[in-house]
Amino acid sequence: MAPLTPYTFIQCPCSDPSTLARSGDVAPSDADDDDRTFDPRAPRANFSLYPLEYLLYCEDCHQIRCPRCVAEEIVTYYCPNCLFEVPSSNLKSEGNRCTRSCFQCPICIGPLSVTSLESQPDPNLLAAPDHTAAPQAGPYILTCSYCNWSSTEVGIRFDKPNSIHAQLAKLRNGGEVRLTAKERRERRKEALQSGPVGAPAASEGDNGDLDIETQFANLKTFYQTQLADSNPGGNGLSLGDPGFASPNSLSRIMSIYTGGSLHDKKAKSRVGTMREALDSDEGLQIADLDETDAIKMLHEEGCDGTLSTEQLRNQPPHLGGAHLHGRSRFTSELRPIPYLLRTKRSKRCPICRHIISKPEPKMQSTRFRIRLVAGSYIPSITVRPLNVPGGTPAAPPETLRPLQPAQFLLTFKNPIFETVRVTLATPATTPGRFASKVTVLCPQFQIDANTDVWDEALKDNDRDRRRRKGDDGPSQSSSSASAQLQGQGGTHQAEAGKIWERGRNWVSIVVEVVPASLRLDLLPLIAKLAGDGAEEKVNVSPLKEDEDLLEIPMFVRIEWEVEGGGDEVGAAPSRDREAKEKKELAYWCVLGLGRVGQA
Amino acid sequence: MSRRPPRGEYIETDTGNKVARKATLVGTQNIMLGGKTVIQQEVMIRGDLARSVQSSSSGGTPASNTAVAIGRYCFLSRGCCLRPPGRLYKGSFTYMPLRINDHVFVGPGSVIQAASIGSHVHIGAKVVIGEFAIIKDYVRILDGSVVPANMVIPSFSIVAGQPARVIGEVPEGGHETFELRDLYKTVGNNLPPAPS
Repeated sequence: MAPLTPYTFIQCPCSDPSTLARSGDVAPSDADDDDRTFDPRAPRANFSLYPLEYLLYCEDCHQIRCPRCVAEEIVTYYCPNCLFEVPSSNLKSEGNRCTRSCFQCPICIGPLSVTSLESQPDPNLLAAPDHTAAPQAGPYILTCSYCNWSSTEVGIRFDKPNSIHAQLAKLRNGGEVRLTAKERRERRKEALQSGPVGAPAASEGDNGDLDIETQFANLKTFYQTQLADSNPGGNGLSLGDPGFASPNSLSRIMSIYTGGSLHDKKAKSRVGTMREALDSDEGLQIADLDETDAIKMLHEEGCDGTLSTEQLRNQPPHLGGAHLHGRSRFTSELRPIPYLLRTKRSKRCPICRHIISKPEPKMQSTRFRIRLVAGSYIPSITVRPLNVPGGTPAAPPETLRPLQPAQFLLTFKNPIFETVRVTLATPATTPGRFASKVTVLCPQFQIDANTDVWDEALKDNDRDRRRRKGDDGPSQSSSSASAQLQGQGGTHQAEAGKIWERGRNWVSIVVEVVPASLRLDLLPLIAKLAGDGAEEKVNVSPLKEDEDLLEIPMFVRIEWEVEGGGDEVGAAPSRDREAKEKKELAYWCVLGLGRVGQA
Repeated sequence: MSRRPPRGEYIETDTGNKVARKATLVGTQNIMLGGKTVIQQEVMIRGDLARSVQSSSSGGTPASNTAVAIGRYCFLSRGCCLRPPGRLYKGSFTYMPLRINDHVFVGPGSVIQAASIGSHVHIGAKVVIGEFAIIKDYVRILDGSVVPANMVIPSFSIVAGQPARVIGEVPEGGHETFELRDLYKTVGNNLPPAPS
């Protein structure tokens, strides 16, 4: 198992149980002893913990906001492949996929490129201006350069190298051109004119030809005429007919699917049944329940020929497809996937509705007009192991040894231009079956303001003197300090109540943990020692996933003062003009320190 | 150990580039470095694969023959390879330039054959970037990804997999982690002693 790099996750207040107020979910035995302590192992905790980078900050509410609680608004739609912006009006008419020539491979979802079948391939079509008039002609295909899939596998070829999307919509697998409604009508008329003998055969052939879109259109017109024709007389008994064939329920269904334009007050009183569609012109589609072909294909190709769920999910609905029954279930029936559009989104605070993140609407720009990220308001916390026994600091041990004290260095870095006071609190033991002991050696300290870097450079000498408050000797170079650190004999030892190290706008403190033993046979013993009569209830089930992970819940409270007219944060001047305003922010975070070894 | 070794591990240029002596740079006249770029040991840059067919619109000027252009504050880790992409153009095979913008990190053992890479791009270890891929700004490519040829990766994407696909978005607070100025300072011949 790869060694775990220590991490810090912060809990967004939106998932705070006190605000959620759903105590019924928590088993009372878990909740009563320590109900205020955040448990990182709770199933719900997974959804509320975020790395600092993912969190935003509302300046008006003075609160952390997470991706789960912010309200998003779409600023721009664009295609991730051709990077063209799509106006939102097009979106309504053409759907949420790129309608240019951007396609993904249905097998491996790699990008497809347009290639000419006849002459030399020219995947990028970066035609120079002096290109000869018709260098490449003939059919074009889509090819995947990753898995070598090409649209010839489903028999699709294109006449033009551009506007593939429009061409593809007209093509069926196998290269057959889909009939438009007009062509269908004409063909039918021809069939009728050719003679009464040929007519039934032609309409029979048409039946299988109906695609989803046409079938819907035919059914819609059929039912519309039926509704118009149905007899408005015959009142009463309106409640007793819930069947699909009643005009009443039909008009309701149609108003759902066609936007309510059909809804007719008079229709309420209609009763009786209407006839159903009888031929393909009226939208009748006879289900093709003959699956011998599919079974034969399965015999020939086996499971490899079938779709994975992901491939099926990626397939866009093909309105020109043959029929609904027996959707493409084999990889040999997959069609190229037009790229789903991507969006740029602005984010609002869910409480006060202020915008807390707003990107430039232009697709090319990577700048943000507003970007209030939590990282510029609350201190960042980095964790690294201290006192690696008998090894170089560069190679941390893969696992923590149970019942052996280990020390970790927490470095708090202050991003704001005010001095902040930090108060930390952790439970004495971590929650869960295997309770590790936790001691924060310096739970209360002050971090200097994030002043200008140049100020710091000018008083560089001063810093060296301040570096190690625990040292009483003269300032020393870091190399000797680390040597001393390994030796463990000198004056520099983690002391309770003392800051380990401090810098311009950062402070390091030491946390000591005694990881619990993961031995299941010890659990009842520990419970007996605790003597709360709970030994019968001890859970000795085998180790669950990630139960060996040592995670410390820590409550962080930061306080700072905002000067009147001063900037709380350089980027966003606060408007309050009071002389000195006290601000505070408190939140839970989780320190992931490592895995406990199975010793 | 003497304070200043006679021959440093890196060659530092006037513009602040730090090029490891053990890096292999082929066709150096076709490689442009923007400055403050770190090239570590065993890196290979194929500057010899320059465009062989000049587009006649440019008048056949041989001056614009850059094969690999790299911006400022880039970091090419040990064992990675930059190779200009090549394809058939008007019936004959030619290489096209590979352009890399500022603050681009290339992890160890990666092979880059992209057409262009934007700024603030992090490419993990053992990544393969196919020919003529276009990577925009603020993109993170996780370790072991294989970016197929001709793929376009839009800004603020997190990309992983074989073949690579967009698996997430770079969060708003994560933009600063792409900065490579601090990393640049940690590499070189006579460094200030590292803080403990």
